[in-house]
Amino acid sequence: MKTNKKTTPKVSKVNIKATKTTSRNANLKPTPVRIFITGESPMVEQYAELCAAHGYEAHISWNEKPAQKPEFKSDSIKISNIIPANTSLAIELTNIDLLAKKKNIKRFDETLADTAPILSSSITITATEQSTWILGKHRLVGIAVLPTLIQKPLIEVAPTIYSPKETLEVTKRFFQSIGKEIEIVQDRIGMVLPRMLCRIINEAAFAITEDVASPQDIDTALKLGVNFPLGPIEWAEQIGLKQVYAVLTALHTDLQEERYRVAPLLKQMAITRG
Amino acid sequence: MFKQLGIVGTGTMGIGIAQLAVLSKIDVQLYDVNDTLLRRSTVRINANLRKMVNLGKISQEEVQASMERIRTRTSLPDLGNCDFIIESVIEDIRVKKDVFKHLDASTKSTTILASTTSSRSITSIGANTRNPERIIGVHFFNPIETSALVEVVKGYKTNNETIEKIIAFVNLLGKTPIIVKDTPGFIANRVSQPLFGEALRLLGENVADVEQIDHIVKIIGGIPAGPFESMDQIGIDTAFAEAQSLFEQSNGEPRLRPHPILKQMVESGWLGKKTNKGFFNYEETNAK
Repeated sequence: MKTNKKTTPKVSKVNIKATKTTSRNANLKPTPVRIFITGESPMVEQYAELCAAHGYEAHISWNEKPAQKPEFKSDSIKISNIIPANTSLAIELTNIDLLAKKKNIKRFDETLADTAPILSSSITITATEQSTWILGKHRLVGIAVLPTLIQKPLIEVAPTIYSPKETLEVTKRFFQSIGKEIEIVQDRIGMVLPRMLCRIINEAAFAITEDVASPQDIDTALKLGVNFPLGPIEWAEQIGLKQVYAVLTALHTDLQEERYRVAPLLKQMAITRG
Repeated sequence: MFKQLGIVGTGTMGIGIAQLAVLSKIDVQLYDVNDTLLRRSTVRINANLRKMVNLGKISQEEVQASMERIRTRTSLPDLGNCDFIIESVIEDIRVKKDVFKHLDASTKSTTILASTTSSRSITSIGANTRNPERIIGVHFFNPIETSALVEVVKGYKTNNETIEKIIAFVNLLGKTPIIVKDTPGFIANRVSQPLFGEALRLLGENVADVEQIDHIVKIIGGIPAGPFESMDQIGIDTAFAEAQSLFEQSNGEPRLRPHPILKQMVESGWLGKKTNKGFFNYEETNAK
């Protein structure tokens, strides 16, 4: 349990790299580093698979359980709402239900050892604002998380105004241990790629509403005309319209600019289909 | 299919379309204001075709046959026997309207008149012609040799027969046509615009620097060129003019408002690769 007395961040002492079992050291049976992941599906499953594949023991839970129970390749993934002892790092992956997010973050702060950092998706609420929910402000770092972006080799990381360099160093080492490099950006709603991507998808939704081209033709146009790897409709399907809607709404609220107004079609689809 | 294709303007697009057409066995009448420009164009097409021979894509005989399909013209009325004419002059609405006025007067009322405009309204370009049903947009993308997309832009009065003929023509050239409504930026440029607009905003708000933003777009977004690299490549003045045009044509839609950084870069003379400095510095090395 944390107390107000703590002034020196200790997250740098965490040995975040999991010890992998290889043929050479198989007999040693090392204990994998334990992490806890919670938030929204499918980001929780995607992060769990990735961490487990790199030797971590991933304990996971969801704000709302996915409709279908996911099947994992690794038996290092354990579904449980209980944060186990000796959890070295926690990852919070909620973009939509910010009340649930606050509850998760507070629970992490109250349960985890002082040395454990909290990595939290910060594209619909800044990491700095999240850190005001907890006493251990130094241990929270923002990350840009949307479904499928996890598969990419680079992660956007946003330190808060409270993040010491030790927390960032641990964050960097953790991501390197799961095969990712990090790019440190300022702690703003949407960060970099999610902000761009959601605006592109929103513009496509406006264009569909105005009957400028069919959804299929819009995807074709962006792929063949400007070399996008996916069309905006394909991207929206992968990310999920509820996620896109949440990012745009947060940008609109934060920046108070008309340019982030959600296209009515996107809003309707997000609230009815997701 | 069309027997005689007229092309007005011998810039990159005009030449590129002429080359694609003659390789597709369509006779081309290439127009520009003087013989020097036309000679330069045919030399360039010939050189491009020879490169294709060297790459084993076409035969020497095809080069000769293709070049024989090109006729050069310095008078617009000489295009009167064409059944399809593509205008590919500078992106200036007055110049384009003037070309269409002359073509309207010197061609049959059934001749299809198309524009390669990337940012101007087809309906506006074709206004005041005798038969606006045959006015259409054919927006090719750079580099024309390798970019597969052509936006077929349907003006307010363009009829289905015209659209069908142009779709068949684009397919014959080996490109992928998509039909789009005549709205500012059509579709590819409009929907990709936030990539550039947000990049500039993120830079302006100091969320990340140009290298970081480009790196994130390429590595996480999977887009081959970052927005700043792209703007440097096409020219920041061109990027600004396109953004400004899109904004004006949309009657000041806030989503499309250009960022002041672009204007400042233009006023500073930092126009990208062509001036050795844009968002990146190209003077000594390719890296900043």
